[in-house]
Amino acid sequence: MASAGLLDALLQGLITGMIIAAGALGLSLIYSIAEVPNFAHGDMITIGAYLALALNKPGAIPFVPEFGGLPLIAAGILGVAVAGSTGAIYEVAIFRRFRSKGADLITMVIVSLGLALVLRNVVLFLVGSGNINYDTERVTNTNVELYLTGNGLSVQTVQRQAGDLVTLGEWGYGWLSLLAIVALAAAVGIGVYRWRSDDASFETVHLVSPRIFGIASGITALAALATVLQGAPHTIDAAVWSTSVGVSIKYGVIIGLTLVTMLAMNLLLKGTKTGRAMRATADNMALAEIRGVNIDRVQLVVWVLAALLTALAGVLTGWFASNLNPNMGFSLLLPIFAAVIMGGITSPYGAVLASLIIGVSMDVGVFLLPAEFATYRTAIAFVILIGVLLVKPEGLWGDV
Amino acid sequence: MALADFFISLLTFVTIYSLFGLGLNVKFGFTGLIDFGHVAYFMIGAYVTVFVAMPAGLSETYEGLTGLGLATAFAGVPGGDLLGWLVALVIGMAAAALVSVLVGIPTIRLREDYLAITALGIATILNAIFHNERWLFNGAFGIREVHEPLSGAFPIGTGSFQLNLLLFGLPSVAILGYAAYRTAKVVRPLSVRPALLGTGATLALAGSVVFVITTMTGLVVDLGVFVLNVDNTIAFVLLVGSVVAGRAALTETDHIGALLALASALLFTLWYLGQPLVAFVTEGETADLLLNLFWLYDATAGSAGGLDYDRFFFLFTLAFLVGAYLWVERTVNSPYGRVLRAVREDESVPEALGKPTFRYKIQSLMFGSALAGAAGGLWAANIGFIDPTQFASTVTFFAYTAVIIGGTANNRGVILGTAVFWVINSGTRFLDDFFPSEYAQQLAALRLILIGALLIVILYYRPEGMLGEQDYDIDLGRGGVSDD
Repeated sequence: MASAGLLDALLQGLITGMIIAAGALGLSLIYSIAEVPNFAHGDMITIGAYLALALNKPGAIPFVPEFGGLPLIAAGILGVAVAGSTGAIYEVAIFRRFRSKGADLITMVIVSLGLALVLRNVVLFLVGSGNINYDTERVTNTNVELYLTGNGLSVQTVQRQAGDLVTLGEWGYGWLSLLAIVALAAAVGIGVYRWRSDDASFETVHLVSPRIFGIASGITALAALATVLQGAPHTIDAAVWSTSVGVSIKYGVIIGLTLVTMLAMNLLLKGTKTGRAMRATADNMALAEIRGVNIDRVQLVVWVLAALLTALAGVLTGWFASNLNPNMGFSLLLPIFAAVIMGGITSPYGAVLASLIIGVSMDVGVFLLPAEFATYRTAIAFVILIGVLLVKPEGLWGDV
Repeated sequence: MALADFFISLLTFVTIYSLFGLGLNVKFGFTGLIDFGHVAYFMIGAYVTVFVAMPAGLSETYEGLTGLGLATAFAGVPGGDLLGWLVALVIGMAAAALVSVLVGIPTIRLREDYLAITALGIATILNAIFHNERWLFNGAFGIREVHEPLSGAFPIGTGSFQLNLLLFGLPSVAILGYAAYRTAKVVRPLSVRPALLGTGATLALAGSVVFVITTMTGLVVDLGVFVLNVDNTIAFVLLVGSVVAGRAALTETDHIGALLALASALLFTLWYLGQPLVAFVTEGETADLLLNLFWLYDATAGSAGGLDYDRFFFLFTLAFLVGAYLWVERTVNSPYGRVLRAVREDESVPEALGKPTFRYKIQSLMFGSALAGAAGGLWAANIGFIDPTQFASTVTFFAYTAVIIGGTANNRGVILGTAVFWVINSGTRFLDDFFPSEYAQQLAALRLILIGALLIVILYYRPEGMLGEQDYDIDLGRGGVSDD
């Protein structure tokens, strides 16, 4: 029986980071293109989560006709879509008007604050302040326990079923195969990176940067080899070191969904005309307008995209934590802002990377610090942000 | 609770939050610093004042740091507990200012939006620390042993009932009269027709509300259902009439402010004196009318009535507000205040003129935070119990809303905006009685939706707020020579 360790905290942090990334991606778009430091972003997350709730559990919300409720997947997709249209409403009804008046940054901050107040209280008005959760199947965690013994690495997957611990699978790797797996995976990663970056020149725009491509193929190779080269388990009584990592299907879904979203965003920004218009607007709104970019349309797209992304973050948070409350978004607002500023507000890629860093440092920090500091999870994100602002106020990645 | 008591408690809230808002106005309105962590200094002021004044070992449930007991330290001197409390308040203000310097030095150079988010983050973290660390100030359990200065001396009054009534009643009526006079001065430029239309609209609106309220029993069983009957039809017709008349009045005059003042004065009179007047006319009942008119006199205090502690405390906070108002006015009207405003408009200009803008910004932060700290100390003494949930970041946002509604960089605007905010947020609480109690939370949320929407609407149509930026005493040297 191994106990949870650093590896577990790292994985938790990765999930937190992925959820933050979904929010941060939207905020960095709004921040750089619409030039609104959007303090309503957290409450847009809440709205997205509750829109899915309204479809998933209509009985929980007054004023919504009772129709039995959709499964969470359908409710989530529909909820995110509806949330997208709320983004259009914010833009057309509020922010476009202020932009046409030439409102400055401070005004935009306060306007978004007013919107945040309205959104949070709409949720309070309709649903109330209590905790609530989605109507969906319970997902049981599986613990992957790793034991390092004299003969190599041994793996056990353990699940708690009806109060008892059940070992689902057990296998091991010898030292030699372990070495081979790591070496081969690293080779694949480096090889792919070389292959992708050999056409590097000033004009090349990679859809996916070679570095990310290399890391991704390395990880894929690692997983594939680890599955193929499974050997007999070793006796684990003499384990030198052991750790346990909790995983569940939720983790895979969250990582997969956010990755797909990021890829789609990447495609949109780099591969389409709208994306080019968006990047041009972020660079210089006036110049873009002169060159025939329809600014209003670009801003509409930005707000809709941001609302979709926040709603995705909201649904994922609500599902992951099995808990929704009107404050859920606001508690994510600070880490999201920290990630966006840390990444350099004009860079969506920086925002994603910074989200992962912040997510990981929040959970690993809580793991490393004494137990009484667990309540300062959000504070960790903030300490990092303040550090970055003091040392490198333009963000870690600057202008990308 | 009599209406006069509610009126007093509302006024006390407005006074304390105005003091808080004045501090914010120094930072945000006059110097242009978006400090989204303003509530942190409110919290520090409240906690430090309470901590310094609180004697040790008052309660077994308190597990925080032992209080310094300054309130009892001066027990020998007459009025010693007030003196001790005042010293505690000054220490609280100093603590708030000191923390603001510590926060300000690293963050104040940041861009305005970064400053906003960093300040919000620091306030949130400070709140989390006060919430979690029980050894500090008892954590989430809060402090119940709040020293209320001079609370032992009240109620005060002379022995005679008539003399008391005269002593406290006359100033009350005089203040109401003066308020009426000032309102009349604002309303004066309004011509007759729009004034009549506005009066009609206000009366019709109030009538429809009264009608709905008096006929409501059994109507608002379910908010979703609206029954069509005679009463509702009358209320509806009144409401439509009010909107039509209001529109007409608004389009016919340029003095929208005067019209609004007229409407608010009418609504206040109806709310505050309407019911007692009806009781007086129909049943000859004078008690309520007298109580509300002589609002500084509490008939239930002592044997012959007098000034009770709540009323005294309102006057006490009012004195602080007046002092702070004069202090801030003096500051912003001085050459020093002109530099602050120059920093707000374009920092490079005072910088080029050799002004150390960084130091000015830090000083502005300290000044604003000290005022917030004073508001915090008064808040604690008024409520009598503090815990970290009272100092959530929403308090900062409410203060911003109040400042912007009233008029950014306008000290009177801050007070007006705070009053408008709290009248919307608390003054309409009497409407709760007419709805089933399970809707209380909904109504609270509805008010905040209204306030958020009002904030956006004001920023769009009147970004300078109700009063706009104030005028300054300094002659900017139009053709003449300035002497400073």
